[in-house]
Amino acid sequence: MGVGTQQLDFAEFYRGTADECLRAVLVSVGDQDTAQELVDEAYARAWASWRTVSRHPAPKAWVVRTALNASISRWRRRRREVPVPDPAKVADLPATSGPLVSLVDPRIKAALLRLPARQRQVVALRLILDLDTARTAEVLGIAPGTVMAHLGRALAALRHDLQSELTQENRS
Amino acid sequence: MNDYDLSTMVRESVADIHSATPVAQIISQGRAVRARRRIPSAVTGLAVITAAAAVLGLGLSGAFGSASAHRAGAFETAAFTLVKHANGTATLTIHPNELLDTAALQSDLHQDGIPALVNSGSFCFSDPKPAGFAQVVSFYPMPSPQVRNTPPGQATITFHPAAMPAGTELSFGVFQLSSGGQQADFALIDATSYTCTSSPPPFSSRDGVELLTGSPAG
Repeated sequence: MGVGTQQLDFAEFYRGTADECLRAVLVSVGDQDTAQELVDEAYARAWASWRTVSRHPAPKAWVVRTALNASISRWRRRRREVPVPDPAKVADLPATSGPLVSLVDPRIKAALLRLPARQRQVVALRLILDLDTARTAEVLGIAPGTVMAHLGRALAALRHDLQSELTQENRS
Repeated sequence: MNDYDLSTMVRESVADIHSATPVAQIISQGRAVRARRRIPSAVTGLAVITAAAAVLGLGLSGAFGSASAHRAGAFETAAFTLVKHANGTATLTIHPNELLDTAALQSDLHQDGIPALVNSGSFCFSDPKPAGFAQVVSFYPMPSPQVRNTPPGQATITFHPAAMPAGTELSFGVFQLSSGGQQADFALIDATSYTCTSSPPPFSSRDGVELLTGSPAG
C-alpha cells in the first residue's frame, strides 16, 4: 500500500471515529481540552504505526487505550512537577469551565465525574465506544466479569444520582 | 429509568462533542512521531548488496550527519522510509524483500524537493550524461564490486538536492529479479532529454549506481 493510499485509508478512519473516540476519552477524563489533546496524540501515534494499527481488530479501541495510557503518563509526569489530584479522585472535583459545560448536560457530567475512574472508563468504552464486554476487558486489562461488575455499579450510581436530581426538579 | 434509557441519556449527553482537529494536522504530528522513532534504525543495521559501477564521493558522513540533525517529516511504506533532514538532504532506506511502490516514492521525493523520475520495469538515462551524480547521491554501505552477493539487507541512500545541476532529475529504475530480489538503478538525467529502456543499461564510473535488494542475485 502506497503512502497516498495509506493516508486516504487513515483519513477515512480518523473522520469516521474521531468524534466517538473523543467522546469516550472525554467521559473518562472529564475535560474536553485534555481529551482533545490526548485523542490527537493517540491518532498521531496511530498514523505513525498505521500498518500495525490498521490491522488491529478494533483500531478505535487502540486509539482510546493509547489516549488513556497517555493520560496516566501525563498525570504521573505532572505529579512529579506540581501537586495535582489523582485522576481516580477527579470525580470529587467541581465542574470545569469551557466548552464541555455548554455541550454536556451538567447533571450528567456531574454524575459521571462522581464515578471512580475505572467505572468511567468502562462506561466510556461500553456505552460511548460501543465495545463489547470482552473487548473492553482486553483494552482495560481486566477480566470480563470485572467489566460487567463496574458497568453495573456505574449504571446504578448514575441512576441514583440522576433520579434524585429529577425528583428534586419535579418537587420544585 | 431502565439501563437502556440511562445508556441513551449518557450517549446523548456527549453527542454534540466533535473533534476539532483536521486530519492533516494529525498526519503531520504522526510523521514527527514516526521520524523520531525511525532515526536510530536508519543509521544502523545496514547492508548493501551489490554495485555494478559507482565511485561515490560522500560516503557515510551524509547519512550519519544529516540523521542527527533531522527534525522534519518522514514518509514510510513497507518498502522504504524517506526522511527529510533539516540540512536539506533526505535519506532513503530501502527495506529488503518488499516491493517498491514507485509512484509513492516519486511523489515523496518530489515533496522533499528532489525532482525524480521513478519507474518500475524501465530505466531512463541521458546521453550525454549530466555531471555531478556523485555529489547528489551517496550510499551506505558504499557499493563496491567486492560486496557483491552479500546477504540481503537495507540500503540507505542520501540525496543532496542542493547539489543537483539545474535542469536535471534523478532517474530511479526498479526491476524485479527472477531470484525474488529487486534491482534499483540510479542516475542523473537531463530533464528535457532522456531515453527510457526496459533493461538497465551498463554503467561506467561516476555515471550512476545499481543496487540489488532482497534475495541475492546469485
